[in-house]
Amino acid sequence: MEMALDAYAGASDDTLLVLYGNGDPMAAELLTRRLVPRVLGYATRLLGGDRAEAEDVAQEAMLRLWKIAPDWRTGEAKVSTWLFRVVSNLCTDRLRKRRTVDIDAIEEPQDDAPGAVDRMIQSDRAAALQQALNALPERQRMAVTLRHIEGATNPEIAEIMEISTEAVESLTARGKKALAVALAGRREELGYGKD
Amino acid sequence: MAKTDKDMLDDQMLDAFFDAARSEVTELSAGLVSAILADAAAHQPGAAGRGVSDGRDTRQQPNVWSRITSAIGGWPALAGMATATLAGVWIGFAAPTQLETLSGGLVLSGEYAANEEVYALEDMAPSYFGTAFLMEDDG
Repeated sequence: MEMALDAYAGASDDTLLVLYGNGDPMAAELLTRRLVPRVLGYATRLLGGDRAEAEDVAQEAMLRLWKIAPDWRTGEAKVSTWLFRVVSNLCTDRLRKRRTVDIDAIEEPQDDAPGAVDRMIQSDRAAALQQALNALPERQRMAVTLRHIEGATNPEIAEIMEISTEAVESLTARGKKALAVALAGRREELGYGKD
Repeated sequence: MAKTDKDMLDDQMLDAFFDAARSEVTELSAGLVSAILADAAAHQPGAAGRGVSDGRDTRQQPNVWSRITSAIGGWPALAGMATATLAGVWIGFAAPTQLETLSGGLVLSGEYAANEEVYALEDMAPSYFGTAFLMEDDG
């Protein structure tokens, strides 16, 4: 099994999806292990740190990928871009539903996470960033997460969010500025000192 | 109102937060992986399609055979044909004496002709002509 997976390791997502569509049993596992951690992390951030809901979204997005596999046209779109778009839309739907049900649920991630002020570690910074991201408008949060955490390019983000690259630049610039302001108040707490 | 430097983090500081977020590894739970793979197996068109066609293929091959066999008359007929074929091969190799006798050495010759007698023309001719006129040269 491991050897077979290794043999496929060099294959592109596109190729693996075609193999899956042709009935290859290994392709699904490799695609899952390759793509799901990324979209799960992304969904978790968009959903304000709610891992359980992010897992539902990831599973739903992968289900849609399995279903589209027979009709997949290689070379037209990147599998990861397509998947991020599906995840973005699913998260947007869930956030909309949430707003009507319980607006507080989004705003409160693991706020009690920070430890002692002088023992600031990466996970605390990540948690602080998540809090600041949660306060951003949804589209800004999406663009900033894709650009600065997932490492997507502006054209890729434009494709995922179905907007122009100019709109992406505007969203990321405004989002980043808002984060810089939100996190400035916690500069000392996060181990940067006042200067 | 414009924000002053003290009101905002600079890019380098902000990048440190992004780095921290990127360094967080998203571990997949076994439950999620198995649920996703179960979905994959359930919706794999190639596997389902291949399963059906596999079945069809494995059924089709015997069908072609059995169609030929039944056209001949089933396995007993095939056994008979096999016996006849082997008999032909045996005759070819063993060259039975009787065959040589009947053919008068026309079928086999040389060392294959075990019988010394070679039929002459009169042996073939009807007896009521007699053989004398055929051998009148000999006197």
